[in-house]
Amino acid sequence: MTSVADPAQVAEVPSEPLVDKGLVKWHLTAAIFFMVTAMTWGFLVSLQFFGHYPFEGISFLSYGRVRLLHTNEIAYGFLVNGFVGCMYYAIPRMTGKSVASSKLGWLIFGVWQFIIVAMSVGQLLGFGQGVEWGETPTGFRPGTWELQYIPVDFLIELGAVLVAIQFLTPIVKSVRKHQYVSLWYLTAGMIWLILTYVMGNTLPEWTLAGTSGAATVGLFIHDLVGLFVTPMGWGLMYFFVPVILRKPIWSHALSVIGFWALAFFYPLNGVHHFLLSSIPMSVQYGAIISTMAVEIVVTTVVVNFFATMWGRGDALRTNLPIRWFFTGMICYFITCLQCMFHTTLTMQEIIHFTDWVPGHAHLVMLGVFAFWIMGMTTWLWPRLTGSDWHNRRLNHWHYWLTVIGLVIMFGDLTAAGLVHGYMLAALSPWMEIVRAMHGFWVIRTFAGGMIVAGQLCFAWNMYKTCTGEVKPYDYRVDLATVEA
Amino acid sequence: MDRFTSVLLVAGLGCFALAFVLSGLYPWLITDAKQTEATIAEVAYNVTTEFKQLKEMYPVAFADAYPTADECLTDRDLASADDDDPRRAQSDDAWRAAHAFALQAGRDTYVAEACWHCHSQFVRPVANETQRFGRIRVPADENNALQRPMMFGTRRVGPDLTNEGGKRSNDWHVAHFSDPTGTSPGSIMPAYTWFFRDGHQVFRTIDPDSAERTGIATSRRYPVPGVYATQADAEAALQRASDATPDNLSTERKRLVVGESEGPTPNALNVIAYLQWLGTWTDDDRREPQQ
Repeated sequence: MTSVADPAQVAEVPSEPLVDKGLVKWHLTAAIFFMVTAMTWGFLVSLQFFGHYPFEGISFLSYGRVRLLHTNEIAYGFLVNGFVGCMYYAIPRMTGKSVASSKLGWLIFGVWQFIIVAMSVGQLLGFGQGVEWGETPTGFRPGTWELQYIPVDFLIELGAVLVAIQFLTPIVKSVRKHQYVSLWYLTAGMIWLILTYVMGNTLPEWTLAGTSGAATVGLFIHDLVGLFVTPMGWGLMYFFVPVILRKPIWSHALSVIGFWALAFFYPLNGVHHFLLSSIPMSVQYGAIISTMAVEIVVTTVVVNFFATMWGRGDALRTNLPIRWFFTGMICYFITCLQCMFHTTLTMQEIIHFTDWVPGHAHLVMLGVFAFWIMGMTTWLWPRLTGSDWHNRRLNHWHYWLTVIGLVIMFGDLTAAGLVHGYMLAALSPWMEIVRAMHGFWVIRTFAGGMIVAGQLCFAWNMYKTCTGEVKPYDYRVDLATVEA
Repeated sequence: MDRFTSVLLVAGLGCFALAFVLSGLYPWLITDAKQTEATIAEVAYNVTTEFKQLKEMYPVAFADAYPTADECLTDRDLASADDDDPRRAQSDDAWRAAHAFALQAGRDTYVAEACWHCHSQFVRPVANETQRFGRIRVPADENNALQRPMMFGTRRVGPDLTNEGGKRSNDWHVAHFSDPTGTSPGSIMPAYTWFFRDGHQVFRTIDPDSAERTGIATSRRYPVPGVYATQADAEAALQRASDATPDNLSTERKRLVVGESEGPTPNALNVIAYLQWLGTWTDDDRREPQQ
């Protein structure tokens, strides 16, 4: 197959009256912008580990505060914008109805970007809250009603409700006996986000102190992953994979089983963040068992994807979005397999508190969900801008720099975690451990640099594609995103 | 099974609620619900020795930090007071109020600076952790208003701080915040330069004769505690120190000079007070604060 051939053969940009392309485009732009920003923060703070952090001594750019931006901008800046952008494309196409209102859409867009900026500034000023992955400022002094800063948590909650109104309107309007499974996932994800956010950002601060509050924080961290990021990612994959491959998903039944199993097992995982703590052991064992069960749930998605891919292996070579999805799916399988083992108390003893955990977190958030969003963006961007990619080769640089960077980072952090864990258990002197980590940390920064470079290629390419000269693009040939 | 509207009810709400009951409410019911949560006043009731030392070591910052600083009397101030002297009870209350304030503010800073991303407060009964970091804490030890939310931490780039209280001296912490590699060679912790402020301080220079005898450089100066914001305040402090010097040591008066210096900010004292408190309060210390 070739890329663009004869201009005469080039089809018109598919007209999609239901989709507000401006909203898709701007949400994806914001997503990529915050991804690049967040990754740059990550790269910079990694320099602290071997004494080269450039902003040392400046309070509002100190290591501790900037580190919060790395994880929070990924969660609320990149992932939320990315998912919402893709939903603006997917949901009207699946329901046959447009979203509630374009005006509401622009309001959500504005509110959400304001939230991310207010969150980042608040964290830099020292208003971050003590909930992992939810360090978004409550605005209140902990446990009181004394307002210190913009109540970002409240705004996020408001934003999440507006998003739900926006997308549930077409879904409810089109409700019928058999709904696309994607819509199940997306609907549930939007509602769970609202519930999860309220739970994690009120109870541990105002109601439950101490270890039971910690259990709730664990529940929040994992619900955010399992009940928001995961169903959004799966829901969009169940839409984009069949659309791009132009064949139905292998098994609808499997996807439905996956849905119910996700809904049941995933939220029960929370406490596995604090294993061997003073949280009652019965609760910890419950979390371990359901974490293992999640592996089975994940297998349904993995099997469904690979079975759908069966017979279309050529797409890996010719179709970059599919290659992103495929790579993400492999990372997903590795991540979840890893989960199943490292949730055991035997492995926790060594790997908890070490770099193994950031390695795992990068594999799942970057290697899986970010890869999927990148694939979707790679596929959507020419359709939104009406022009072929400015430079397809840059998309390949993006892919290879990111994937190789991630593989190096994951391998490096995993190895570092084992060394760190065994040295801790062996009662090695503390500074001995820090010295042993030095090489691993340098390699991690190098890998991080590769990943940031990859994203810069992509961001530049996106920018040139929408502002440069319009290049004809054959939309009938989906695989054309790869250089022939 | 795949009737769409049931999604909202069963998956959306039911599973979420079930998880909250099993891993949020249930642990609460079998641990923290069995006793009332300790207030800040309760956890601050036993004032740590290190907190009292902060007043002697950094009197100016201490006075700036705590409204009740003037009423906080040290053992030296109370040396001549009888056991039933009302100043003792008054002083105890003032110390507790200052301590409570310091713990809350110190912990707020601990969260704001994200100390907890590199330092855990979570000793586990495995991997020889009790040998390295000490006592394991039970839920009752954590059920207090300072643990909103709990600071278990997530990663050990630096050592665990569960039992940090009393392990090191205040001046170690001050030196460490100023330059971590100074006290811990090889440390990768950033310096917290904004925990320090410039000012003026009284120094005692060395007697040239004794310098010659002992081989100590004559340029050597010994700081008198108290870093003042202005030159005038420091000179007033010099005058006070001079007045307090007995007449038979009057040559010592000449050796007092005022020089530029830097010292911890009030907020640094809060953080140090919090660190010196960590691990010192347990469930056994629950007591009603005095009215």
